[in-house]
Amino acid sequence: MSAERSTAKEGAGAAGAAAAVAEQPVIQVRGVTRIFHQGTLEIHALRGVDLDIDGGAFAGLVGPSGSGKTTLLNIIGALDHPTSGTVVVAGQRVTELTKGDAAEFRLDHVGFIFQAYNLVPVLTAYENAEFTLLLRGVPIEQRKRIVMPLLERVGLQTEADRKPHELSGGQQQRVAVVRALATNPDIVLADEPTANLDSETSSGLLDLMDELNRDLGTTFLFSSHDPVVIERVRRVIKLHDGRIADPGV
Amino acid sequence: MIWKIAWRNLWRHRGRTIITTSAVALTYALMLVGMGINDDGHRRMLEEAANAAGGAVIVHADEYWNSRASDLVIREADAIVDRVRAVGGVSAAMPRVLVNGLVSTSAGARPILLRAIDPEHERALQDPGEDLVAGTFLTGPEDDPLVLGARLVEELEMELGDRVVLTASDPEGEVTRALFHLSGIFQTGTRELDEALAYTTIPAAREAVAMSGMLTQIGVVAEGGEDAQQLASRIRAALEGEPQALEVLSWQEAVPEMVGYTELDDAFGFIYLAIILLVVLFSIANTFLMAVLERVREFGLLSALGVRDRKVGQLMLAETVLMTVLAMGVGFLLGFGGHLAASHWGISMAAWGLDEMELSGVDFADLVIYSEIRPIKWVIGSIVVALATVGSSLYPAWRAARLAPAEAMRFFE
Repeated sequence: MSAERSTAKEGAGAAGAAAAVAEQPVIQVRGVTRIFHQGTLEIHALRGVDLDIDGGAFAGLVGPSGSGKTTLLNIIGALDHPTSGTVVVAGQRVTELTKGDAAEFRLDHVGFIFQAYNLVPVLTAYENAEFTLLLRGVPIEQRKRIVMPLLERVGLQTEADRKPHELSGGQQQRVAVVRALATNPDIVLADEPTANLDSETSSGLLDLMDELNRDLGTTFLFSSHDPVVIERVRRVIKLHDGRIADPGV
Repeated sequence: MIWKIAWRNLWRHRGRTIITTSAVALTYALMLVGMGINDDGHRRMLEEAANAAGGAVIVHADEYWNSRASDLVIREADAIVDRVRAVGGVSAAMPRVLVNGLVSTSAGARPILLRAIDPEHERALQDPGEDLVAGTFLTGPEDDPLVLGARLVEELEMELGDRVVLTASDPEGEVTRALFHLSGIFQTGTRELDEALAYTTIPAAREAVAMSGMLTQIGVVAEGGEDAQQLASRIRAALEGEPQALEVLSWQEAVPEMVGYTELDDAFGFIYLAIILLVVLFSIANTFLMAVLERVREFGLLSALGVRDRKVGQLMLAETVLMTVLAMGVGFLLGFGGHLAASHWGISMAAWGLDEMELSGVDFADLVIYSEIRPIKWVIGSIVVALATVGSSLYPAWRAARLAPAEAMRFFE
C-alpha cells in the first residue's frame, strides 16, 4: 500500500496535480493551545490558534523567536500534542493519534526539513534520500526510480555516495528536500530550513522548493524569520505571542 | 536497514567501540580460559586426592579413618579382600598395612607413617616407585626392605643398605621393635612426605608389628566411569554380615576437605567472574547511555521521519548485538588460544610458589594443571555473557525509544 502511495504522483503532470489539490484545506487547526511546564512555571507557547492551509500552498509561519512557530509546526506534523484544540491534516485528526500511529502518519503524510542535523550521519546522500521509502517497504528498484531523478533535479546526482559530513550545508538541505518529497507527502513542513545557509544558498534552496511546489503540487509550510523566506512564500502567516496576528489569507 | 545503520554507528567512535569490545572480548576469553584451567585443575586435584586417600573407595576396621589407632585392624583380611574384589565395578583391591612408628639409627630417631604395600597391586592406582631416586622400590631380594624419603635419610645420616630400627605398637598394644634395611630412597619434593613417609612390603610389616593375616586398609580402584559413592554403597552391602564391623568410605567421604576446597574454589571463581562481568556490563551500559545522549537529536530525527519507537530501541539493541558478536568472536579466539596454550604447556603449581603446599595428601609440588573443555560449561558461559552484554543495553535502548520526538529535535538547539 505504502509503495503504491509513494509513487502515486510519480510522473504525474505536476501542474495538473497542483490544480487538483488546490483550494482544498489540507491543514485545519482549531483552538490549539500548547502549554509547557518548567517547574512551577507555565509557558503558553500557543494560545487558541485557528488556521486553515489549502492544499498546494507555499506558506510561511513568521514571527519573532518564542512566537510559537516551531511548536505549531510540530503539532501539525504530529511530533507534539496540543494541550487543547484539534488539528486535522489530510483529513486525519492528528491530535488523537497515539505515538505509534503518529509515527505512521508522519511517514505516510508528512515530509520534514529541519534547520540542522537533518540527515542520518552514517548514511550516504542516496541512502538518506531513500530512507522514508525504505521504511514504507518500497522495493529497491522502485526506490531508485524515485530518488535518482529527484537527486538529479536538485543537482546532487554525483554526490549520491557522499556522507552528510562530506556535503555542504546547502547540499545537505537539498538531500533533506529530496527525502521529504520522495514519499510524495501531503505536506512538507520546513522548520527554519535556511537558518544555517548563506543568502545565495538559501535563495537557491527556496527556488528549488518553489519549483517543486508548483510542479508537484505538494503543500509547503515553513517556519522562519528569514527575510529571504518571507519574500518568497506566497502566504505569510504572522504569529505573535502564540496567537495568529495575521492569517495572511 | 537497522543492521546497516547499527554497524556503521558502531564505527562512528572507533576508539570507544574498540575499547568496549576489547573489554567484553577479554572478559569472555578470561572466563573461557579460567573455566578450562579450573576444570582440569579440580579434576586433577580430586584424582590426586582420591589416590592419596588410597583409592576410589577405602575399607578399614570401623572408626579407623578418624582415629588412626593401631588396634583397629581388619582381621581375616584375605577373605575380605576377596569379597571386595568380587563386587561389580571393582577393578582392583589393594591390601595395605599402615603403621605409625619411630625409625631410629645411631644418628637419631624420627616419627614416620609406614605404608606396607604390594607394589604390583598398587600399580592399578599409581606407580608407588615413581619418585624413587636411589636403590629399588621393594623389588630387591631383602626380606626387610625399607624405602625412605631423601630428607629423612639425610637427617638419619643413612646410606643404602644401612640398618634401621622401627619401633611401633602392635594391634594388642604391645610395643614392638623390628630391624629393616634401607633399600631405596624417594624424593617427592614435599617436605612432609620426604621426612615422614616410609614404604615396606606387607609380609615385612606384618612380621614387624605382629599383624599376621591382618590389614589396616583395603584400597579399591573403580572400573572406568564408575561412581565412587555408588561403588562404596555396593561394597558396604557386600560386607554386611561380617563378624567384624568395617568402615567403607568413598574418596569424597575420606577427603571431604578437598571436595570442599574445589567447591569453594568454584564458588569464588564464579563470584570473581560475576564481578568482572558486572563491571564490564555497567561500563557497556554507561557507554550506550552516553551514545543515547549524544544522539538524542538523531533519534528525534528518525522518529520524525516515521520510525516507530520500537525500531529506535531495536537500533540500539542491534548495535549491542553486533558488538557482542564481534567481541565474543575475538574473545573466543583468544580464549581458545589460551586453552590450547595451557593444554600444551600446562601450569606448574610449584612455579606459582605452591611447592610446599599439601592438601588431603595432594602434593602441589608435583601438580601441573592443564586445560580441558567441558562444552556444556563453555556453551552456558557463552550464553550468559551474550545475554548479559545485550541485556546491558536494554535500559539505554528503552531510553532511546521513549524520547519524545519534538523534545529530541529541540535538543542541542
